[in-house]
Amino acid sequence: MSLLNIQGLSLSYATQRGAVHALQDVSLRIPRGGAMGLVGESGSGKSSVVLALLGLLGEGAALTSDKLDFDGKDLRQAAERLRGRRIGVVFQDPAAALNPSLTIGFQVAEPLIQHRGLAREAALARAESLLGEMGITRAAEVARAYPHQLSGGMKQRAVIATALACEPELLLLDEPTTALDVTVEAQILDLLEKLRHERGVSMLLVSHNLGIVDRLCDELTVLYAGRVVEQGPCAETLSTPRHPYTRGLLAALPRVDRGRMARLAPIPGGLPDLKQPTPGCNFQPRCPFAVEACATPQPLLDGVRCHRAAEIAGQPWPIPELGESVVRPVPEALLQAEGLTRSFGGGGLFNKRAGIRAVDGVSLQIGRGEVLGLVGESGCGKSTLGRLVLRLLGADSGRIDFDGKNIPAEASSEFRRRAQIVFQNPDSSLNPRQTVDEALRRPLTRFGIASGAKATREVERLLELVRLPASYRSRYPHQMSGGEKQRIGIARALASRPDFLVCDEAVSALDVSVQAAVLNLLTDLRDRLGVAYLFISHDIGVVAHIADRIAVMYRGAIVEEGPAAAVLAPPYHPYTEALLSAVPVVGAQSRAESRIRLKGDVSTAPGEGGCRFAHRCPRRMGNICDTLTPPVREFGTAHRIACHIPAEELAAMPSAMAV
Amino acid sequence: MNRIPRTLLVGGVIVGVICILAALGPWIAPFEPDAFNMRARLQPPSTTYWFGTDEFGRDVFSRVLAGAHHSLLMGFGATIISLVIGVPLGLIAAFRRGWTEEAIMRGVDLMISIPPVLLGLLILAVTEPGLLKTMLAVGLVYVPIMTRVARAVGLDLLAEDFVEAARARGEGGFHILAREILPNAWPPLIVETSLRVTFAILLGSALSFLGLGPQPPDSEWGLMIAESRPFISEAPWIGLAPGLCLCLLLIAVNVVGEGLRDLLDPRLRGRGH
Repeated sequence: MSLLNIQGLSLSYATQRGAVHALQDVSLRIPRGGAMGLVGESGSGKSSVVLALLGLLGEGAALTSDKLDFDGKDLRQAAERLRGRRIGVVFQDPAAALNPSLTIGFQVAEPLIQHRGLAREAALARAESLLGEMGITRAAEVARAYPHQLSGGMKQRAVIATALACEPELLLLDEPTTALDVTVEAQILDLLEKLRHERGVSMLLVSHNLGIVDRLCDELTVLYAGRVVEQGPCAETLSTPRHPYTRGLLAALPRVDRGRMARLAPIPGGLPDLKQPTPGCNFQPRCPFAVEACATPQPLLDGVRCHRAAEIAGQPWPIPELGESVVRPVPEALLQAEGLTRSFGGGGLFNKRAGIRAVDGVSLQIGRGEVLGLVGESGCGKSTLGRLVLRLLGADSGRIDFDGKNIPAEASSEFRRRAQIVFQNPDSSLNPRQTVDEALRRPLTRFGIASGAKATREVERLLELVRLPASYRSRYPHQMSGGEKQRIGIARALASRPDFLVCDEAVSALDVSVQAAVLNLLTDLRDRLGVAYLFISHDIGVVAHIADRIAVMYRGAIVEEGPAAAVLAPPYHPYTEALLSAVPVVGAQSRAESRIRLKGDVSTAPGEGGCRFAHRCPRRMGNICDTLTPPVREFGTAHRIACHIPAEELAAMPSAMAV
Repeated sequence: MNRIPRTLLVGGVIVGVICILAALGPWIAPFEPDAFNMRARLQPPSTTYWFGTDEFGRDVFSRVLAGAHHSLLMGFGATIISLVIGVPLGLIAAFRRGWTEEAIMRGVDLMISIPPVLLGLLILAVTEPGLLKTMLAVGLVYVPIMTRVARAVGLDLLAEDFVEAARARGEGGFHILAREILPNAWPPLIVETSLRVTFAILLGSALSFLGLGPQPPDSEWGLMIAESRPFISEAPWIGLAPGLCLCLLLIAVNVVGEGLRDLLDPRLRGRGH
């Protein structure tokens, strides 16, 4: 018998403009000990499923279902009694899930006191051992700590410990690692995998990341706009997806194991209107294989909701034409930065202690039309470096040359025109009170490029460049989707016809299908206009796809730098090796045994001097790593690694990625 | 479009009616507000004298009408003064940071540390009392609060990426504050302002009560309440009428403020479009 059995679950939210049908006839079952992955883009209804199971939907939600059973009990009545006891939950953001004014130990103990009726001391003791089981060393110390004293990964372990306190049979995981760095994510995934095998906990894993789902789950449900479009064994579904949407998702995914691909396949269009769901296939408007018969209702047959699944199996997902490449990168340096250093936090009015060096003596060089990818975990100084090279942040020391001319701290208008920035968050990068026209016109008039009717034509040209219709000129940011806003952000940066763009996590906030379209756009712009990018991202897959060269940053310094293909293949800096090994890649279950795991995270404080990675390095050689600054070793053409390990040994490393 | 909250409608209508009555006062008042009538002293409310008469036989209703514009001018005028001085100060503090911010904010702290009535007294003590000066005094009292609100709003907005984008274009401070920040800052400022009007009216009346506003025989609600004190037991209506009118105005303005907050609060905006 299934532990969890959902049949015909429908859910609608009442809004001022009518009912939104968030879920339509969703069915799934999880056997005891099984793990089900629930994937889909934002707005597909993934989180609604979790909330429905917990009975936490709130007011205005109307739920109907044929069956909503947990171990034979109807969740519609029993959810309140079961959640926290037999159903545990882990939400996305561990910082938000923990109460900042209670100790970790008490928060883990709370469900034991609440549900199991344990005495406070007994519960606290149990909490401590639970934290230990979650792989936390010095559990006693952590139990007495408050959330702000712990790193993100530690907090998420504590949250998982809380969820597991009453030994639930089912664990609901809602994007459990999305807020974490990739090396920490890998640790949490290991933990979850271990829990599954040792305790036989069943899991429902909600994620937008197909790689994670592939690692943890044996069944997969793909949700699109509130409907299940495909359901089946995980590995099989991901290797041979049948529904066009699943196929589209996989084709849109930049993958580190594929390196630089010519083209990603974006899924055109956006989510359908959930207020009036079509009776027919709701993916039809975006589907390249759509025919007239798609307008009729589609049943979920043999795990796929598409009447043409078998018919189109042989047809490839159409990949857009490659923009013609006019300009190729030239070795001539456009931007050259030397010894950039910037500290934060010191030197306030009442605070005279030295700050943290966010960027510590970094030098880098970017050629015309070249894309330098900058990867590293959060807090490593990537964004600070991006702002330093644009002179948006004052450097403590260091020199910047742009096109052969030295750029002083107060940059000239000419430099401002030629070096621009694209931001991560499309919601914050556009002024909510300016129309697209105003936003795009300002740089034109500011730099004296065009005015009046000429500027209007130029605005239209810019919109065309980012593939938006001219009618968007009069729109305000709130009238556009995330992907559209991001394009306006790019158009604004391009308005002054720059030669250099800093893309600070420019695609990280977007869904894969939209991300693919924006990445293609950026690739085209580089090829057609010869713009050089400093492409900052924590997503190595994205960087591998777009970058000519890659620089890997760790705690304020670049530890490895070289041509993209060289950085992604041995020899590696041990940190690069660990990063690559930690990336969850679809269809790479075989490499489980060769995984390299880092202990702790970036914030684990090391001493001064020596290699800054030494405290986490799995290949640490000994004292030399802690005391001496590592030498920079050169491999081939311009591939540099800062490490004490002898060159021959580095060169002999195996690949960190599955082939 | 947002739906207009009912609180805003109700409050707006009441404030509007009071404004119209204040403006039409001289024409619709049944009696001259300062005409003595010794034969009708201390009359209780009746059909002739709606709110009764005072110790000189003046019609209280007419005096309340004549005094309304003082309270309104006081409230809105003082608030506008605090807005005009406080908002630029706050935005500049947020933008410049460092020593400029320290200087502005510590100066503002200094102003806050002086009790409002004392500050009003101080300003009015050195000059002749009068409506305009009371207005200025009350306005200055609320400058620190406006400065703080504007600075907080400014700091939030300055952290947004579109400001960074403006910096990347090399825009000057004036453009960033006036074109990028201010258009986004006004909703929270308007809400704060509308709530501030209430306090300004109240403080203005309090200063008048203390004899620091308009001078007799002018009528002003605070002043009328002060003048009614000797007769509070035998003719309570003299003080009650302006007092209740003040109450009604304050509640109405406050309700408008809450309505505006519902309408403009960024947390309630931008959901589902």
